[in-house]
Amino acid sequence: MAQRKPNPTPSNRRRLGVVVADPVEVIASALAQLVDTHPDLADAGHASDPHEALAVIDRARRSRLVTLIGLGFEGPQDAYWLIREVRERHPTHGVLAIGDRAEPAAIGRALFVGADGYLDERSDAAAFLDGVKRAAEGEMVLVGPDIDVFGAIADGMEQPAIVDERLTEREREVLAFAAEGLTAREIAGRLGVRERTVTTHLSKIYGKFGVGNRVAAVREAVRSGLVPAGWSE
Amino acid sequence: MAAAHRARRVLLLGGHPVIASVTRLACTAMPDVRVDDGDPSNGVEAMIGSEEPVLVIVDLDRRAGDGLTLLHGVREAGYTGPVLAMSERSDGKRVLDALRAQIQGYVVTPAGLAGLSLDVATLLSGGRAFDGLLDDVAVEELGRRVRVARDRARFTGRLTPREREVLSYLSEGLTLRQIGRRVGLSHRTVETHVGKLYRKLDVRTRVQAVARAANLGLLRVD
Repeated sequence: MAQRKPNPTPSNRRRLGVVVADPVEVIASALAQLVDTHPDLADAGHASDPHEALAVIDRARRSRLVTLIGLGFEGPQDAYWLIREVRERHPTHGVLAIGDRAEPAAIGRALFVGADGYLDERSDAAAFLDGVKRAAEGEMVLVGPDIDVFGAIADGMEQPAIVDERLTEREREVLAFAAEGLTAREIAGRLGVRERTVTTHLSKIYGKFGVGNRVAAVREAVRSGLVPAGWSE
Repeated sequence: MAAAHRARRVLLLGGHPVIASVTRLACTAMPDVRVDDGDPSNGVEAMIGSEEPVLVIVDLDRRAGDGLTLLHGVREAGYTGPVLAMSERSDGKRVLDALRAQIQGYVVTPAGLAGLSLDVATLLSGGRAFDGLLDDVAVEELGRRVRVARDRARFTGRLTPREREVLSYLSEGLTLRQIGRRVGLSHRTVETHVGKLYRKLDVRTRVQAVARAANLGLLRVD
């Protein structure tokens, strides 16, 4: 269905570039094709890996670009990490979270870390594409969620505010590994740094949270939505 | 065997008497519905009572007591059934504050009263009843709040624990010397903390600092 017209008008360069990042390759690819069917939007690439997504954005070399980020990304470089990363590297770009009936708390957190809105993959294609366009204008966009979950989205948005921004990117990484139960030595191995560096990060995290040990730090992180709630002590 | 026939109980926490009357009429137009007027003086739990209502209607513009607090009280009392909020206000703040109590409907009075019996029927059958215009104001308010939440996080991150402590004493109106005695530092050191605090908050006076901090949610000002 994504028959590319040889000379679309307005010209490809004038259209708003869109990058799609989703852990599920077929979704990233299908959404990129869908985007390209819209006369004002242009497929600027897609990726199913967060680092690859950042590279695709850099390669696009556009001043006006919207990146769609799937909330399904997990691990230390999860969807929230990617949203924050894109937001910091490209403050003028639009960033939208996408998902399949995502939890309101997850949507709220995505907004908090920098997304301009959320588009549900199950919504009508025209409404979805219109949402992409509106986000590029800097408008807050929610396509899919019904008004009765807005309250839960607001809750999710305000909870991480307590601690989230106090941590540096590296500290968040260390914390995510600590939450998986890795030892300082193991975390050091993953990050390619010395064990001593990891313990320094950990003690800074404790200081920022006002806690005395790793369990308390991870509990605090779970409570504030910094690491996935599946973690248990 | 037919069970004893009992009309379904709708709990009405009304506001203006006229609006309450209209609401009562709209409810009793349904078959098998009876309306209980709630009396909040005995507490929300007593109003919910042993016979769980099939619907709770809260007029947010109550004269006695804060309607919003009452609305949230209904949820805190453990009631999980449908809730219909009513208000003459349709601004983002009011709407989103109500939405945080997981309501299933919001009627803007008095215009929305015309469709009230339909809304009540919708909620009784498990549906939702929100004025379509509320969507945009609620999204806009969400946008505003996310900016506040981000700002607050940014400033909270920038303030050291000592600066936050000093800030709370500043808001109580203590002098530099008094603060110094409380935290065991010289007033000169306190002055340095205050200077840094002002720079971080981008303000010049104590009043501005406290106002800015309250705005960002760093200080609770009652």
